[in-house]
Amino acid sequence: MLRQILLHIFYQLNNERTINAAYHLLRGKRSGQTIQDVGIFKLYPYFGILRKLARPVFEDGVNSLGVEGWIRTDDNGYFTLTESGLEQVRKLALPFFDGWHYQGNEHIFYGRLSLIVQSLSNQAAGIRSFIPVQRNEEIQGWCRQFLLASDFRSGMLQQALFHEMKTSMEQSGLSTLQKELLVERLTGVGVTGIPWQQLSFEHEMTELDCQLLFISALHKWLDTIHQHNEQFPYLLKLAENIRIDNVLTGSAYQTAQMYNQGYSLEQISAMRRLKASTIEDHLVELAMNEPTFDSTPFISHEQHEAVQQAVRTYATRKLRVLHDALPHLSYFQIRLALAKGEV
Amino acid sequence: MLEQRLQEIFGYSEFRPGQKEIIEHLLEGRDCIALLPTGMGKSMCYQLPGYMFDKPVLIVSPLLSLMQDQVDQLRQRGEKRVVALNSFLSPNKKTYALHFLHEYRFIFTSPEMLTQPQVRQRLQSMELSLIVADEAHCISQWGFDFRPDYLRIGEILGEGRPPVLALTATATDSVLADIKKYLSMKEPYQFIHNVNRENIKLAKYMFDKKEEKHEWILEHVKNTAGPGIVYMSSRKRCDEFSQLLIENHIRAASYHAGKDAEDRQFIQQQFIQNDVEWIVATNAFGMGVHKDDIRQVIHESMPANVSNYMQEIGRAGRDGKDALAILLYADGDEHYARYIAIEDLPKTMHVDAYAAYRQMQQNPTVMLHDEGMSETAFRVLDYWMQQEPQEAVKQRLLNMEENKHTAVREMANIIHMSTCMRAKLVEYFGQTLIKTQEVCCTECGLEMDKIIGPRRKVTKQALMTWDGRLQKLLFGHI
Ligand SMILES: Nc1ncnc2c1ncn2[C@@H]1O[C@H](COP(=O)(O)OP(=O)(O)OP(=O)(O)O)[C@@H](O)[C@H]1O
Ligand SMILES: [Mg+2]
Ligand SMILES: [Zn+2]
Repeated sequence: MLRQILLHIFYQLNNERTINAAYHLLRGKRSGQTIQDVGIFKLYPYFGILRKLARPVFEDGVNSLGVEGWIRTDDNGYFTLTESGLEQVRKLALPFFDGWHYQGNEHIFYGRLSLIVQSLSNQAAGIRSFIPVQRNEEIQGWCRQFLLASDFRSGMLQQALFHEMKTSMEQSGLSTLQKELLVERLTGVGVTGIPWQQLSFEHEMTELDCQLLFISALHKWLDTIHQHNEQFPYLLKLAENIRIDNVLTGSAYQTAQMYNQGYSLEQISAMRRLKASTIEDHLVELAMNEPTFDSTPFISHEQHEAVQQAVRTYATRKLRVLHDALPHLSYFQIRLALAKGEV
Repeated sequence: MLEQRLQEIFGYSEFRPGQKEIIEHLLEGRDCIALLPTGMGKSMCYQLPGYMFDKPVLIVSPLLSLMQDQVDQLRQRGEKRVVALNSFLSPNKKTYALHFLHEYRFIFTSPEMLTQPQVRQRLQSMELSLIVADEAHCISQWGFDFRPDYLRIGEILGEGRPPVLALTATATDSVLADIKKYLSMKEPYQFIHNVNRENIKLAKYMFDKKEEKHEWILEHVKNTAGPGIVYMSSRKRCDEFSQLLIENHIRAASYHAGKDAEDRQFIQQQFIQNDVEWIVATNAFGMGVHKDDIRQVIHESMPANVSNYMQEIGRAGRDGKDALAILLYADGDEHYARYIAIEDLPKTMHVDAYAAYRQMQQNPTVMLHDEGMSETAFRVLDYWMQQEPQEAVKQRLLNMEENKHTAVREMANIIHMSTCMRAKLVEYFGQTLIKTQEVCCTECGLEMDKIIGPRRKVTKQALMTWDGRLQKLLFGHI
């Protein structure tokens, strides 16, 4: 599946970035460039879905696209999709991902869930102490508080959690395989969690595919939990601070606050002792994430429309090309227009 | 009475060999070295005293996973006053733990942590009842090359310290000498258990080509009874070979440091419950695994030294019943073993590069990127460059390399010589075989099927539905 995901990313990137952009995207690199790419090329689903992706695994994936004849790469790391590559893109059927809003936090959610299930399982068996599946002290502390606050000894929590999990998983439109994966990584008394290698054998797909389907399942499930929040109070609690709706990086966030208070670009730059170009990066990030962001102080409606027109005419989002076509606009203005997209 | 306390606190009716002697000497304030075989209960030598003293026991442990394992074991018994000071602690937790350090009964830490000024000062400002060096052979085996911080333990203990207890399963005379020296031990009481494990039978098989070994193991594993461990030298080989076993309907799992933490726990658990029959692992598997009925340990290629070999085969047959250790060899295995053994040592050119950076008043840590050095190698180099002049370090590194080569040669001897394997192993640890045994080793004559039974086929359990599994997890039944 990594191969299909890569193909889709390369298609979206429109031959305008090097293959490295896809690597940083999948690992969820928090740099201005990667974050802007997400917005410009509409790559929200894949941001940070494989935070630990190893370079050799990534390169194997890219190479296999070459071997299939779907892409051609050049020495500078740029690539082009071939005819058969484009053909493949039309046939793609990828599972749902929402990397942008979870960015790896889905694993924290699952970590909490698995430790709580393990605790309840041991409690049901009358075992008082056991070796926790989660070593992370923050998760342990969180779960301890959750269990105490939920009066877990009464046996009610088990009932409620079972009901919530079963109902919400059924409502999420997950495949049977995905539901299986979600419970197979849980562990308890007499039911040990299953290592990836065995899951890969049982389900007849690679370990990485199992992991990707698992992540996709978590994203879908978490969305359901948030959408029907009054129905699943315990799961909603477990999903506390997991979904990221304000996705600005720390520094961009500060700039955004000052900007919203009415400071100008120049003022912010002076007050924060940051280069104007950095503040511009922040504003582009803001434009991308905040649908209500008003860009008219920097670029007029007409200018914005001109950029959109140029994108269509030249079928590109390459800044240099657009700048050549619209020499009276600055790079910053063009980036803003790209970030905001069609309005 | 010590037995009474053992019964009260741990529920065991008697001491295992060596435990009582060691504890008595510790209570008298004497330094001790306990050389006990793996799984014989070395930890008890400080756990029981922990309940008899009113000040904390400090335990220095070489591996994070091992430390965690000990902490888990104590917590599982209901002990709350236990803490692990390691790099995983958040700054807040660390400050808290350090502040209340004197309140704990057991404090676990790593040599690296001990050298941190904050930790060091805190420890020096408080009273301890006992200091324990777990897996103390690391002081020698690793200290000189792998973990230089181990050599600093002695330095940190200082004067007026409480008794020191060194625990290890395998140590030659020279290692024992290193332990005494670097822990500044004063005439320690030594309890040295017979290193021979009679119930572990020793086999070796020679092959012309490496590939033949894999076929052999597959056939062997298909036909003989586990549970067992196959040790292999790389993560990739573990993954591939375990896959081959799984495809042949053998319940196997690959285990190495590259697996995520959950997987490692699941696999250990499955192995203990006999859901998995064979573990195919790098040497990352073993320390802290408590399974008494491991019947076989197979080495696909030769270990880098005899100590490692003893440690690894020692995981078999802890229940005292017959077990089998099989060592496979193909021509040229020494080359590979030698390569692996010195892979992580800094080289002469690194010494020069380090000196050059220092001359230019640059921080030599850039070598980690620029010279592509491993972190371990850099730590070793950094330590010695601060202790000795450039040329002396070069010489030292050459000596280390030579020692590693010698260690590989010693291991190879056990394979190539046609005298009793057991006698040679025991000799290596400075002991002599007191009596010969009927079933001993390949050289003395060995019939495998007398030791190991045929493989028992297990019927595969029906897979549970997802909601059935969830129900079983939460309620204990379907
Ligand atoms: N006196 C005793 N009676 C019964 N069981 C004991 C006794 N002492 C220790 N044990 C048990 O033996 C097991 C192994 O103990 P421990 O982990 O201390 O071994 P070890 O010698 O440190 O092994 P390793 O070399 O693997 O570190 C533990 O489960 C422990 O509870
Ligand atoms: Mg031990
Ligand atoms: Zn013999």
